[in-house]
Amino acid sequence: MCDVATVQKIANCLGVNPGKVQLNEEQVVTRTSGQKKSVAGFATILESLASESKSETAQNSKTSREVEAQVYQWIEFSVLYVAPGSKDKYVSKQLLADFNKLFASKSYLVGHFITLADLAVYYAINDLVKSLSPVEKEAYLNLSRWFDHLQNRPDVHQGEPLLNFTTIYLHGWATGTHI
Amino acid sequence: MIIYTNEGNPLGLQLLMLAKFAKRPVQVQLVNLNDVKYKDLLALPTLELDSGLRLFSPAAIAKYLLVDEGQLRDEWLEWSATLLAPALAHHMAVGHKADANALPVLNALVKKLDDSLKSSPFLAGDKLSAADIAVWSLLAPDGTLKGAQNVDSLRDWYGRIKALPEVQQVLAEQPLKDLTFNALQQSNRYGGLHHVPLKRLSLADAGKLLVDTTPTVADTVTDEEISAAKAAFTYTAPKEIKEQKTVLPKAGERNVLITSALPYVNNVPHLGNIIGCVLSADIYARYSRSAGYNTLLICGTDEYGTATENKALAENLTPREICDKYFELHNAIYRWFGIGFDYFGRTTTQEQTDIVQEAFKDVLKSGYIITESVEQLLCQKCDRFLADRFVEGTCPHLGCGYEDARGDQCDKCGKLVNATELIRPRCKVCNSAPVLRSSDQLFIDLPKAEPQLKEWVDKSEGGWTHNAKVITRAWLKEGLKPRCITRDLKWGIPVPHEGFEKKVFYVWFDAPFGYVSMTKRYTKEYQQWWQPAKGTDVELFQFMAKDNVPFHSVVWPSVLLAINKGHTLVSHIMATEYLNYEDGKFSKSRGIGVFGNDAQETGIPADVWRFYLASARPEGQDSSFSWNDLAARNNSELLNNLGNFVNRALVFCEKNFNSTVPEVATTQDELVLLALINRELKGYINSLEKAKLRDGIRHLLAISRHGNGYMQTQQPWVLLKGSDDQKKRASTIIALCVNIACLLANLLFPYMPTTARTLFGQLNAKQTPLNAEKPLATLLLPAGHKIGKPAPLFAKLEQSFIDELKGKYGGAQETKAAAQSQPSAADLEQAVQAQADKVRQLKASTKDKAVWQPEVTKLLELKKQLEGAKKTAPNPAPAPAPTSSNGVQSVQDLEKAIQEQGDKVRRLKGSTKDKAVWQPEVNILLDLKKKLEAAQKAAKAGPAAAVPAPSAAPSADAGQVKALEDKIAQQAEKVRTLKASGDASVWKPEVDALLALKNQLTALTGIPAAGSQGKSKKKK
Repeated sequence: MCDVATVQKIANCLGVNPGKVQLNEEQVVTRTSGQKKSVAGFATILESLASESKSETAQNSKTSREVEAQVYQWIEFSVLYVAPGSKDKYVSKQLLADFNKLFASKSYLVGHFITLADLAVYYAINDLVKSLSPVEKEAYLNLSRWFDHLQNRPDVHQGEPLLNFTTIYLHGWATGTHI
Repeated sequence: MIIYTNEGNPLGLQLLMLAKFAKRPVQVQLVNLNDVKYKDLLALPTLELDSGLRLFSPAAIAKYLLVDEGQLRDEWLEWSATLLAPALAHHMAVGHKADANALPVLNALVKKLDDSLKSSPFLAGDKLSAADIAVWSLLAPDGTLKGAQNVDSLRDWYGRIKALPEVQQVLAEQPLKDLTFNALQQSNRYGGLHHVPLKRLSLADAGKLLVDTTPTVADTVTDEEISAAKAAFTYTAPKEIKEQKTVLPKAGERNVLITSALPYVNNVPHLGNIIGCVLSADIYARYSRSAGYNTLLICGTDEYGTATENKALAENLTPREICDKYFELHNAIYRWFGIGFDYFGRTTTQEQTDIVQEAFKDVLKSGYIITESVEQLLCQKCDRFLADRFVEGTCPHLGCGYEDARGDQCDKCGKLVNATELIRPRCKVCNSAPVLRSSDQLFIDLPKAEPQLKEWVDKSEGGWTHNAKVITRAWLKEGLKPRCITRDLKWGIPVPHEGFEKKVFYVWFDAPFGYVSMTKRYTKEYQQWWQPAKGTDVELFQFMAKDNVPFHSVVWPSVLLAINKGHTLVSHIMATEYLNYEDGKFSKSRGIGVFGNDAQETGIPADVWRFYLASARPEGQDSSFSWNDLAARNNSELLNNLGNFVNRALVFCEKNFNSTVPEVATTQDELVLLALINRELKGYINSLEKAKLRDGIRHLLAISRHGNGYMQTQQPWVLLKGSDDQKKRASTIIALCVNIACLLANLLFPYMPTTARTLFGQLNAKQTPLNAEKPLATLLLPAGHKIGKPAPLFAKLEQSFIDELKGKYGGAQETKAAAQSQPSAADLEQAVQAQADKVRQLKASTKDKAVWQPEVTKLLELKKQLEGAKKTAPNPAPAPAPTSSNGVQSVQDLEKAIQEQGDKVRRLKGSTKDKAVWQPEVNILLDLKKKLEAAQKAAKAGPAAAVPAPSAAPSADAGQVKALEDKIAQQAEKVRTLKASGDASVWKPEVDALLALKNQLTALTGIPAAGSQGKSKKKK
């Protein structure tokens, strides 16, 4: 998913008008909102969106300076590692493993609530998760749980078809092999 | 706070600076991500706050540590982390990760910085902000701005920040020179930032701002090296290399005694024997002499023993006549190869007899000889005991009964035979039946000598090659056993001991003393070498193949230690591994391989053989003789590298300076070149001091490569047409090149003496001694020196000629067979397809790797063949590089050519580590890339050619395009159906096939195929 589409999705999610979102001459995403103010850079745009939003997710993302810093670092991580890395066989494997390990002990990336960090990584990793076979999804069980939890939120899936994770839960009850 | 980072990580600098500006104390901890202790760290550097919270994004840390400084700052922070840092990582990458596209991108980024700084003193306005710190700390490591042009505002800004006291303090703790973007590869588990694609910038070419820092070795030259090179490059009248009539060791000087393993007289030596001993010894000896050491090189033929007796019987000659005949053969071969023995002798001399008998008496006297009885067959008619090979009879093995079995082995059943067990044995000479007799033999008591030997080995093995150490250790570990030193033969040295008059010494007891006896033939003062007086040190270097090691490291030293008369013991055992012939073995009987006399018949000069054999010397591991390799090295290294450089230098001097060497006025360029040459010179000396002849050649060729590169960049032919100052530069360049040629002649001498002499003739110079203590290039030919007449030194070896030789000396059978049965590319493609289907089915049906693995192997093999077939098949496409109307190769063609050449280079690099092999291909590749850059620029200049429209690709054949498009449609359909089934392992290969087809189409038409697969496009 490209930066422009993701920004629009996240803006919807936060209930903010995305304004005009496009790529500039450096192929960097920019946002020009109502007041003709332009912002460049994915992470910086997300911050500007959050500052305009009253949504729960936006509020969660700025509860403290520590939270803000962590949210920012995950947004940057999604830009620098997740989005480009998903297209690389080796890097994507490592990313899946790292996130799976991370979600073994927590439900959200930062703190105990959904933040922009989750949204950024969710949209960045979407295509990669979509390409996984049921067996692979099972192998990354913690990641799958987090992903499935997020995708079931209407503000997140925004009408897109949901990915199927059901066999995983089935597997918990009855051990067997998948197709 | 703690910063966890890895060594050299440039981002660590950013965190240190941020902490310093935020006035927060911080400590740095260097970690390795592979360390289990740090398995929870995702990326380095990571900052651990006092609260325990960990942050790994420098931008997040900047925002956290410093107060909010506005949106502009935040934009720059993000820009530096997501655009600048990846671009730098790409730019600094080396090896297969090197990316030629990084520089234009980086130039555009730098231009943006410079433009911003033109209008405001700092990136985010009038005040220093975290943005400045972030960007500065990325530009500082690796000297990105070094030599950059037209970025004055950026430079000014860079200088202002560097001067800040906080920055100075940080740099004092963390020197810039320790940082490099290459360290990012170890900063996370994703291989650094290489997965981040370079943004294809749509803005106009920013022009050349940064220096193209495709890392050059010249950058690594230190000031110390420069000043050393400068100081050394002066003229001193050379000392003549003294040639004494008889070389003797001298007290207080370095004395080097060199032996080469004695070749057995009736074997014709093959190339492996030659490089294994005599040639290696000769190259080393020549080096040793030119380094000014007192050097003696001794060798000769080993002539006594059963094999000679047998051969004599076969050829109906006496053993003496056989030895005379074969000795001449050896002598002629070595002379042709230019082996400069001080003495090439033989073991069948009176001196040998005297020395061996005396040695035996000494060993006997010191009590190291024991007598034991051994059962042997005696032929009463011939009056001698029969060696195994002299008995024939009926094979004793059940069910064989072959009547002509030999005493050591039955030719019919192939089993080993004990001569005494043969049924109805008969003497091979007179056919009468021998009788079994026990005969007393003398043994040397090696176990008794073992403690002394062990002590000596511990002390001496430091100078031995690895294999010599290993073999010796293995022998000692097993424990030594008494070894028989006598034989019931006639052709040998009589044993001077009562009751043993009819026996002779076994060859391995007598042969090593050949080194001593041959020295005695050379000079009456031989004892100065072999039993030197106190105060005179003689180093003994013995060259051999590894099968000879035990005799030189265990048996002979034991004998000498038993004698205990202060003999020179070997200090350097230089054992080689084996040289194979085109990946098989040399075999005289099957006519496979090149033997000493064959080399002469090929017409290839002896020096080229010497050069090739030395550069393929089996040092450390077995190596192979290959005709193609021989041709490649001759053509690329000797002809194109060394010969080309030397000849160009001399011809320039002859034509433009009336054969007179001009004055050298060194500038920085010359000093850098000299410093680089000095490095190689040092490497050359170090290698040859350890008799690592292969490495020596590498360094020698590197010097001429540096010379070539220097001439190519300086372009004296252009300067010669310029102003007076430029002409002066040209004369310096030529004078330096001629001097380097003279240095090369000196370094070449050990390897290629004839060529070196020719070169000295062309230079009108004499050989100058090498200074091993201070290996620095000096001015060898001062201004005013008249050179001789230059002429090419080497000739090209044509492939047709090489193929002819290949056929003549074997090793061609398999290539011929391959050519006949080579299936066409189309057949292979079909086979690959079928096999791939089979594999997929198998993989889907079972998880058992044992089942499908063999099929996968087959598939891979087929694919390899296909690749090979495609390569050799005549290219159906039009001429590979058609030129566009203005004579410049079109961008597309060049890109294709680059792609092909790149593949070739990767293959080569994959198949061999030898830079000499792939370097020329790399050069071609670089050249192509340069052309592409030029073409791209030209394309941009001319608006008509700016977009590669379909019509601009005349090579695309409409029919071909149609066929491909149909294929793509089919394949896409297949993929869609398969994907519906869900299993990625099933449809993945098909998707790949689809993508490959699309690439083909793109290559054909120049426009990317639109398609359902472009996920990113679809989602927009």
